[in-house]
Amino acid sequence: MKGFFLGLSNGATCVAYCTPVLIPYMLGEGKNIARNYIALTQFLLGRLAGYLVFAFIAWLINLSILDRLGSKGFLIGVLYIVFSCLLMIYAFFRTDVPCAAQSIDRIARKIKVPLLIPTLAGLLSGIALCPPFLLAMTGAAAEGNLSYSLFFFFMFFIGTSIFFIPIPFVGALRRIQALQIIGKMASGIVGLYYLYAGIIAVIEGVRGI
Amino acid sequence: MKTDPHKAPQGESIGTTIVLTMVMAVTTVVMFSQGKMPQDPKELIALALTILFANTIFFLLIYTGRTDRYRAIYFSTFAVALVISFISHMFEVRGSMSLSEAKVFQCEVPFCHLVIPMTLVPVALTKTIIFPGSLIGGYASIASMFVIWIGATLAFGRGFCSWGCFYGGLDDGFSRVLKRPVIKNINPKWIYLPFAVLLFVVLTAAAYLSPVYCSWLCPFKAVTEFKAVTSTTVLIQTIIFVSLFIGLVIVLPILTKKRTQCAFFCPFGAMQSVTNKINAFDVRIDKEKCLKCKRCIQVCPTLSMNEESLEQGRTRITCMKCGKCIDNCPKGAIGYHIKGTDIPGKRNVYRLLFLFSAFLFLAIFSSHIIEDGIMRILKLITTGSMI
Repeated sequence: MKGFFLGLSNGATCVAYCTPVLIPYMLGEGKNIARNYIALTQFLLGRLAGYLVFAFIAWLINLSILDRLGSKGFLIGVLYIVFSCLLMIYAFFRTDVPCAAQSIDRIARKIKVPLLIPTLAGLLSGIALCPPFLLAMTGAAAEGNLSYSLFFFFMFFIGTSIFFIPIPFVGALRRIQALQIIGKMASGIVGLYYLYAGIIAVIEGVRGI
Repeated sequence: MKTDPHKAPQGESIGTTIVLTMVMAVTTVVMFSQGKMPQDPKELIALALTILFANTIFFLLIYTGRTDRYRAIYFSTFAVALVISFISHMFEVRGSMSLSEAKVFQCEVPFCHLVIPMTLVPVALTKTIIFPGSLIGGYASIASMFVIWIGATLAFGRGFCSWGCFYGGLDDGFSRVLKRPVIKNINPKWIYLPFAVLLFVVLTAAAYLSPVYCSWLCPFKAVTEFKAVTSTTVLIQTIIFVSLFIGLVIVLPILTKKRTQCAFFCPFGAMQSVTNKINAFDVRIDKEKCLKCKRCIQVCPTLSMNEESLEQGRTRITCMKCGKCIDNCPKGAIGYHIKGTDIPGKRNVYRLLFLFSAFLFLAIFSSHIIEDGIMRILKLITTGSMI
């Protein structure tokens, strides 16, 4: 239960880190509350997958990963960049939702954006974004037992996920057409921000190796 | 004064104008001087010039019936005076415009209204003000700015951006440099960008408990204060805000004749747009008189008029109540209006009520800054230094 309570105590921080991604995405899609819950489920499943991957890694290499923060910074930086590209593709290249970037219509039609954007975003955010996640990793890695590590991360995931429940209610605003444009624009800005954060993390990671 | 609702709004008679200006003059003398006359001759001259300037502008607003023309003169003077006064003050107390880490840790950073959207969520969730400013006292305290903002928002909504914001006069002024715009076709969807920036800064400020807009995006740091460049991150931040200042506050307003920073970027403006819904004044179009010449759509500096809104007889939510459409309407079909009353109704009365309260707020809010700006210029003339 330690993982669950750690998740509960850090859920607000977790949700604060994920809302800049989730809210613009949900506004941009302009779907109703029920469909937003489906998107949230996809996001959370992706996040769970990310957590379990790290649970496995935490068990595999125990605490040694914490000794090599330089290389970890590099890895997180790369993930940030992939994540930012995902957000920017979503913001600028989907044409079935209104967007200011109409001039790139032709390119957009050629690019088939995966339908599982929330899952992929969840996976990447599960691995890279959340500072409380580092706490969980330390807690899980300290035991050095695979089943404990997986269970610890699963419970941590459950504890934090409770805080995500209200987010899909932004779907109540879907009738306001302008919010779709605003959501997509905001996704683009968040993407740019993470691109910068990723580049900086990669540079610092390379220095640390 | 009797008003004919079917006539274009004209200025008031000389008698009415003098009476109203007298009331404004008494109020401004009391408020600007705060009941005591300065001993220093330079301060006395600066105070007298500020009072004279404010009341001359008010007289012209009322007598000529032109709103935007004279508002813009005062508003831009306010912005220029802020730059002069603020930079001089920074040099006086810090020796430079740059902000050291020590000053940040000592919470000595002046607070401005643009930070307000970022502070609300963290205050509600963590009871923390995520800005290294002084709660009370100091050059510009957090509490005083909040009180001013709440009052002005309830009274004018987004009118704050044309009658209160001490930065707005910069891009407003630059947007008047050319007679005709060089860039004419602007995608109207750009008016949604400030809302996206607002969403981004509010969410990231809540996530990182840091005023992201101030650190990364605020172009007005170029003319107020900024972090001393001591790292690559600060260097990148500096490049971003200087570029935004040159682009959004100087170049694009000149080329488009629009207030590009206020209309297409400012998150505070986006938040104020929402508050337009909860105050008494708005700008309405008398559909019976409207010729559909679309002059108002053409001149609006914030793209707050389009064919759809014209059809509905109202402006869009982003209207700053600057009065430019009112000045430019050939039939006088556009005017200030009090919600819940008839259109056109007593439009001159509505105009007077709006102008008196909005200008009084602008005059009082700007008084010390304009006065200090004038005094710094007088100092420069007489001593060769503004400090």
